[in-house]
Amino acid sequence: MNNKEFERLLLTVQKPGRYSGGELGSVIKDKNKVDVRFAFCFPDTYEIGMSHLGMKILYSQFNAREDIWCERVFAPWLDFEEVMRENNIPLFALESRDPIKDFDFIGFTLQYEMSYTNVLNMLDLAGVPLRSADRKDLSPLVVAGGPCVCNAEPLADFVDIFFLGEGEEVDLEVIDLYKKHKALGSTKAEFLREAAQIEGVYVPSLYDVTYNEDGTINAVTPKENAPAVIKKRIIKDLNNCHYPENFVVPFIQIVHDRAVQEIFRGCIRGCRFCQAGFIYRPVREKSAEVINRQAKCLCENTGYDEISISSLSSSDYTELEPLLNEMLDWTQQNHISLALPSLRIDNFSEELLEKINHVRKSGLTFAPEAGTQRLRDVINKNVTEQEILSTCKIAFEGGHTAVKLYFMMGLPTETDEDLKGIADLGQKIVDMYYGMPNRPKGKSVSVSMSVAVFVPKPFTPFQFEPQISKEEMERKQAYLKSCITTRKIDLSMHDSSTSFLEGAFARGDRRLGNVLEAAFKKGCKFDSWNECFDLQKWNEAFSDCGIDPDFYSQRLRAYDEINPWDHLDYAVSKGFLVREHQTALNEKTTPNCREKCSACGANCYGEGVCFEKR
Amino acid sequence: MRNVRIFYEKKGRMKFVSHLDMNRFMSRLIAKSKIPVWFTEGFNQHAYMNFAVPLSLGYVGLYEVMDVKITDDSYSLEKLVDDLNAVSTPDIHFVKASESVMHTKEIAFAEFKLSFDNIDAKMVNDFFTQQSIITKKKTKKGGIKDIDIAPLIKKAELCGNELTLILTAGNENNLNPSLVMTAFYDFYGVDPDFYDVTRVMIYNKDLEQFV
Repeated sequence: MNNKEFERLLLTVQKPGRYSGGELGSVIKDKNKVDVRFAFCFPDTYEIGMSHLGMKILYSQFNAREDIWCERVFAPWLDFEEVMRENNIPLFALESRDPIKDFDFIGFTLQYEMSYTNVLNMLDLAGVPLRSADRKDLSPLVVAGGPCVCNAEPLADFVDIFFLGEGEEVDLEVIDLYKKHKALGSTKAEFLREAAQIEGVYVPSLYDVTYNEDGTINAVTPKENAPAVIKKRIIKDLNNCHYPENFVVPFIQIVHDRAVQEIFRGCIRGCRFCQAGFIYRPVREKSAEVINRQAKCLCENTGYDEISISSLSSSDYTELEPLLNEMLDWTQQNHISLALPSLRIDNFSEELLEKINHVRKSGLTFAPEAGTQRLRDVINKNVTEQEILSTCKIAFEGGHTAVKLYFMMGLPTETDEDLKGIADLGQKIVDMYYGMPNRPKGKSVSVSMSVAVFVPKPFTPFQFEPQISKEEMERKQAYLKSCITTRKIDLSMHDSSTSFLEGAFARGDRRLGNVLEAAFKKGCKFDSWNECFDLQKWNEAFSDCGIDPDFYSQRLRAYDEINPWDHLDYAVSKGFLVREHQTALNEKTTPNCREKCSACGANCYGEGVCFEKR
Repeated sequence: MRNVRIFYEKKGRMKFVSHLDMNRFMSRLIAKSKIPVWFTEGFNQHAYMNFAVPLSLGYVGLYEVMDVKITDDSYSLEKLVDDLNAVSTPDIHFVKASESVMHTKEIAFAEFKLSFDNIDAKMVNDFFTQQSIITKKKTKKGGIKDIDIAPLIKKAELCGNELTLILTAGNENNLNPSLVMTAFYDFYGVDPDFYDVTRVMIYNKDLEQFV
């Protein structure tokens, strides 16, 4: 297809800017002068994928090497997919518009389970066989990274290589090894065998999984010298690690349309439901000086008028106040606004609020996660009701009249009392607002409460716990609704069919690969989008394959059961997870990493918060 | 402070950038280029920019106009063009900058070149020589009304497969070439063909170049 024809087709779809390429900051190279072509695929729309910081980091780092050309690929929206299939346009990379089936690597980032069907759909659109075993040649190699890799077993049949942990180093080591084998003319099997020896590389085809009669795993056995346990990689020194000096700046508006500056990785808190709080351990900070320099450079090169600092819990950054002072210096001067997401309630100080107000007044969002102190102790979300109320008070005094609160339903040990606590907390906030003599005059308060269904995830203390059933969820939802008596509280509990599917895939094993393929063949894609999700098709896919999703999601797992992810080492030991689970059931909290070490195992890298002076 | 008019070309992959997105694009470009523009002083401070006539998504524009205010009187306009080009993509190419002469309100016509794979000369002649061309246009309120576009077409000339149209432009009576072509295909009752559109010039009421 020539360019003209292609561009004419683009004008027939919504938001052609998703597919046009040519953004400032995108990297164009001469394909004849590079050794390795890498298609970096984000299995969701352009607007979502382009907001992802990890992709920006690796894109910039790969392209910093002369011998690699990394290009971006996103899942085409339904209208353009139709155009592509009608006109036989294979999935292409945005920079060169070349079909990705001719690339050396097709790399996916797996950020959430509900994007798995998009992975298959994209391979299919590319014209690449879905299953690893059906791709006989050395290239294209289908590789994947991202948090879902910590249990990527449902994708094990489709992906050649998984990268565990942070990709900056291991990805390039694999690319270098590939270059060697490409030059030697090696077979795919020869390459994969050697790649499996690199730390952080998981080649699923080199592991045999056997099952017990009850359906649980009997053993995971490595073949051909592959390591029995694969350990995730981390970057030890973030100050000297590659960080982009420029972003690809989209033409169309994306979800996070701003410069993003990473300040640290990991989280000291260890909230027991939160996978990110465990799999990114240990906490490693960048120095304020490096952050300030990188952020300034990024703003200058992109021209963005907004920058956000990024981490799992920004207010836990040790040098936050001096950092903000330095950043406000040049951001204000250059009409750049500074955004601070992920602040925690308990250390949300008045000075900090003052500083944010300096820039722009945005919404105020808190995530108490649970309605009662008892349950917050169970999940180790160490905030008290008093803290929530006093923070809201400060916010109201500062002129805010709307707060948003996030909760979860179906947490381990949850009772109706805990659900009622959600409603009560909302009511207390409303009452406090009207009890304030100095509240904003003439304005009504609005408390939005969003309640999601809890999904137990691997590598958290709740990995042993069953997810609640759909019936139980419906009962709980109805009960919670009945507890709310004021219109000032806006309660949202969306249909949670996706949570149950997510629950099955999060802790699923290889046998789910067939289900995934069956669902894809029935037309499932963009499962995280309400307008696309089709529970009926998924149910059919499960029953066609003779697999019960509840086996994965709604079963209490014994501590000694072999989980599908137990041969992966994310630095937090199973023993620690068991201890934490026990502590949770005893309704006891665990201090954060800076207060006291809980011996999770993440000190094995010899770096990070584990070695800070306490 | 000077009112400066910047002329640029919008082509290639930039065709797919809508007018709203162009606003954002230009403000980032201005920030990167560090040209000394005046910022608005309201609650949401931003670089002051004014675009003369928006260009539809999918069209190439060779005479695009953006007005800014330059705070530094010693800053040369040649340097301004160079500074912008240094940070821009080749698909947005800055051609020149000068002090603005006409008011944007004076814009009365725009000239378009439409290139077709194949178009019938007789059909074109018959269509454009009609006294009146009634077609349906969406109103801003969402309704549909009949309008006569014949008086809004100043010139229509076919040369090979390229049709030149001079149409009224500006805030009042702006006529989009796609509306003309929709009327054309509707008139003959045939399926529309693909065609590329380039806006080559904008004029005042006396058909003088807008400067």
